[in-house]
Amino acid sequence: MRARPRAQLLLFLGALAAAVVFAFPIWFMITSAFKAEPEIQAIPIHWLPHDFQWLGRFREAAEFAPLWRYFLNSTLLSLVHVVVTVFFGALAGFGFAKYRFPGRGFLFFFVICTLMIPFQILVVPLFIEVKAFGWDNSYPGLIIPGMMNAFGVFMMRQYASELPDELLEAGRIDGAGEFHMFLRIVLPLLLPALVSLAIIVFIWSWGAFLWPLVIVQDRELNVLAVGLTNYSQPYQHAPMWGAAMAASTVATIPIACLFVFFQRYFIKGLTAAAVKG
Amino acid sequence: MVGYFAVFSIFPVLFGFTLSLTDYDLLDPPNWVGLDNFRNLLADRLFLTAFANTLIFVAGATVPVWVASLLAALLFDQIFRGRNLLKTVFFLPVLPPVVVVAVVWRMLLHPNGVVTWLAGAWRGVTEIDWLSNTVLAPLSMIVVHDWAAIPFFMLIWLAGLAGIPPELRDAAHIDGATPVQTFWHIDLPQLRSTAVLVAALSTINAFQTFTLQYVLSPDPGGPANSTLVLGLLVLKYGFQYFRMGDAAAVSAVMFAMILAVTAAQLRFNRRAS
Repeated sequence: MRARPRAQLLLFLGALAAAVVFAFPIWFMITSAFKAEPEIQAIPIHWLPHDFQWLGRFREAAEFAPLWRYFLNSTLLSLVHVVVTVFFGALAGFGFAKYRFPGRGFLFFFVICTLMIPFQILVVPLFIEVKAFGWDNSYPGLIIPGMMNAFGVFMMRQYASELPDELLEAGRIDGAGEFHMFLRIVLPLLLPALVSLAIIVFIWSWGAFLWPLVIVQDRELNVLAVGLTNYSQPYQHAPMWGAAMAASTVATIPIACLFVFFQRYFIKGLTAAAVKG
Repeated sequence: MVGYFAVFSIFPVLFGFTLSLTDYDLLDPPNWVGLDNFRNLLADRLFLTAFANTLIFVAGATVPVWVASLLAALLFDQIFRGRNLLKTVFFLPVLPPVVVVAVVWRMLLHPNGVVTWLAGAWRGVTEIDWLSNTVLAPLSMIVVHDWAAIPFFMLIWLAGLAGIPPELRDAAHIDGATPVQTFWHIDLPQLRSTAVLVAALSTINAFQTFTLQYVLSPDPGGPANSTLVLGLLVLKYGFQYFRMGDAAAVSAVMFAMILAVTAAQLRFNRRAS
């Protein structure tokens, strides 16, 4: 149904107002990353930097704290989580969907149960456990807990169960081994779902804050999410808004890129993650 | 893989419940104290404050989000020129991680910052303590949370709206139903499971809030504990005071509340089908 011209205009204006209000903080973050400090505080506000700073504020942020190290740590953490969750999620999801074995129902229930546990319930006991392993303040302690997300198993089982059985039968008749068949037939067919899953896991891991905050003390091991607080509440130092906005922009870029280049998968992933419960 | 989940998920939960019955402090071996930690929580002013603050935050982070995200979805579900571009722009707050949201808003909510200018300039007000006033600070947390949550839940509503068979609306249109009638009698009943999902998910998310209160506030949980929520209290007891037993007890209370929401969601869905 297409609305009439007047209604069209009203709809457009309403949507424009909503979009401007909601996007304004993001706009202000990005433009402030290129402003000099007094300009950020200027009232009335400067919509665009008058004195464009190029990469000066980014350089300042990297000098005050190891910004690029944070970025690498976040990248490492997120990529390990994505690869592990996607691969094992697909493997286990395929197994649960297409094979019958004793205890299947119970095991799947067991995996799904872990989905219902909010992380804040885990943080204290997990901290004590990981400390007992001697992994506190280290990459294994930072990365290994949480690297396999049960949501991957859940989502992949749904998609794998929609694959036609005949296809797998055909593969078996052609003499393909089960694992070979998984790699050559199942994974390519699941590819769109795998991309959505990879994006959602990346978003979660990239934004993870609580676990890195408690498990890591060394500056060099910190992730971007925790490192950011160095700029907004620096120790014995006035807040550095320019550097904070530059670092915030850096922290948003990877997710913005995923959104721009994989928009459809991005939206699918977010929706699928919401419906899991 | 099952072993992995057992070690990093199931074991910590069971260990956490055991922990909540002890007085472990990371240094001395734990003593069994039974339900004392839970009994103490009932008389613990910090816990009661955090509990009340969490409920207020949940109220502010659910009802307005539910209504506003539905309205946004209905708006962007219409067909008009520029719709896709404006929808994408509206969706932008979903992209930055929560910490970035908190840092950016901390700057915007500076006492003589941008929001003060927008809200107070016409009356000559130049300074508002958005984050260091015990009434305004919790409200600011809610507004910032809702700003990021509304576009996200709009997405869920849009997915629900897309699932309504177009024949239904066409039929209503032919029968002469007004758009408002169509919405009440066709869309809303069809959106029932989406409505329950948005309500449940926003409640569960709100119960777990803590990053905003930790990063946005100049003093985590402050001023005067007015933004101290349960998630922050777990961190405070566990990693500031090293009272692991109390921290685990607070987590157990949070878990119970979240499970109750999940149970309510399942009941609603079952009744619907």
